[in-house]
Amino acid sequence: MNTAMQTQAARRWLDYTIIAVIAVLAIGMLLPFLWLFSVSFKPVSEAYKLPPTFWPTSLDFSNYAAVLASRVPFLQIYGNSLLIAVVVTVGQLVTCTLAAFAFARLEFRGRDTLFVILLIGLMFPAQVTILPIYLGYAQVGLINQPIGLGLMYLTSSFGVFLMRQFMLSQPKALEEAALMDGAGYLKIFWRISLPQLRPALSALGIITFTQTWNYYFQARVLLGRETSMTLPVAMDVLRGYLGSGSLSLVMAAMSMSILPVVLLFLVAQKFVIEGITMSGIKN
Amino acid sequence: MITASMTAARRPSDLRRIQARTGYLFVLPTSVLYLTFVLAPVILTVILSFAYYDPMLGSRWVGFENFQRFFTDRRSLEILWNTLRFTCFAVTFNVSIGLILALALNRAMPGWLLYFFRLAFFLPVIIAAAFVSIVWSYFFGDDLGVINYFLRVLGLPAVRWLTDASTAMTSIVIMDVWKNTGFFMIIFIAALQGVPKSIMEAAVMDGTPAWRQFFRITLPYISPVVFFCIVYASIGALQVYESIVILTQGGPGDATRSLSILIVEQGFGSFQIGYAAAISVVMTVIILVITAIQQALSRKWVQR
Repeated sequence: MNTAMQTQAARRWLDYTIIAVIAVLAIGMLLPFLWLFSVSFKPVSEAYKLPPTFWPTSLDFSNYAAVLASRVPFLQIYGNSLLIAVVVTVGQLVTCTLAAFAFARLEFRGRDTLFVILLIGLMFPAQVTILPIYLGYAQVGLINQPIGLGLMYLTSSFGVFLMRQFMLSQPKALEEAALMDGAGYLKIFWRISLPQLRPALSALGIITFTQTWNYYFQARVLLGRETSMTLPVAMDVLRGYLGSGSLSLVMAAMSMSILPVVLLFLVAQKFVIEGITMSGIKN
Repeated sequence: MITASMTAARRPSDLRRIQARTGYLFVLPTSVLYLTFVLAPVILTVILSFAYYDPMLGSRWVGFENFQRFFTDRRSLEILWNTLRFTCFAVTFNVSIGLILALALNRAMPGWLLYFFRLAFFLPVIIAAAFVSIVWSYFFGDDLGVINYFLRVLGLPAVRWLTDASTAMTSIVIMDVWKNTGFFMIIFIAALQGVPKSIMEAAVMDGTPAWRQFFRITLPYISPVVFFCIVYASIGALQVYESIVILTQGGPGDATRSLSILIVEQGFGSFQIGYAAAISVVMTVIILVITAIQQALSRKWVQR
């Protein structure tokens, strides 16, 4: 009895120690972000000063204003990023859920073969598709057009796979009842399946938005002109224009650039994590 | 139109026909887009890899010349080696640290604390590598760098994180692990919750030491997930691009240059389209081989 209590106490202390260590690590993980925000509020002359700070000492937004007033078309670049991310997100929500419904609920010849071919797409990196897409885009004038990057990602194997997983985990009873009542598949899809899938739609939407917001390789190849750039690529350029001595401005631009993704994640952490584990575990 | 024809549908054969028609209609957008932006480009890249492509002066077939060039050129071999080395280290540390963190977090704690931990470890995952690399380039600075400042405070010698050919790759791996390990942590946390509680409790009652519980019960149970993580991490790491472009531009010399950088440099810098296509085919084949090995291994393991 006595030893059992001792081991229990020992285990509890072990738990506390581990949690304390993790807490220190977690704060360490956040340091780059804290530094970034802290620098974005500093006067330009103090940006490089050591020791580094990890907490803003004042909330002076003049660096933010300076970025907007600079010769880099920051608002336009921001708009490009938003446009591409919204178009791709909406596009994938439509195309992926439609295809997933067909793969999960409908019987037709060649269905499983088609699904396997689609899944193979998960293994092709952007590097192996970009050259022909670039050459094709050059023919039709889509180089340096933000929408060109959006077009490439209007559907995704990952999205179809994720939505299919969610659909397969839903009971079929309601849909079958509706079918008996003479409802069409489009109506069943729209009225019964989709409303049940709200968490899945949020997960796919947030993951897709974030991923698209962050594309760099493709964006750098296809969108070279300053006015057509997206934020990740432009940040490098911005660093060149403003970088020497204006670290504060770069970090102000950076805070504005990561804001949408950070906000999305703070609000919907649950959905993101659900979606990611769903795709990882069931694979 | 569809709805109208469906309300009339009563007979099973009709239903089957309508079902098939709806099925094809629903997969149509995805199929067309997938064909246009994935399958066709992949096939074209493979074709290009056997050609010398020049739309102005004329293209011609060169057989395996592009591949031969890649596998005999010292520089491209060094770059291939860099990429494989980076992949090996990044995968090992990302997956193992992610697993350790998941094991550490797999215990009772207040909800707000778990929310904070998930936030802290997952935030780097969702922020673009291009953004965080710029922040890290100031952390890795020589004289004004944040990390070197703290090393000096502790009385340790400063490290030339990015400007020394022997440490630059390590620095990129460090940033990569900081950025990506949280992803694997999240996946492992979910996997650990799938390990049956009854088996673990029985092991605890028997007084099985913790490390043995891990290797005998937990690890075999989550091994499919471990395999998935290794492959997923490898596919990502083989494509490494922006973190290197921003931190070192592939330097010093070629010390950190990766295949992706070489593809862009050859394809869009020197317009050696055929050669760039060959390099991307090599990269894809490596990915396919790794995936095939994983499939074979996990089938063997999981059945045992």
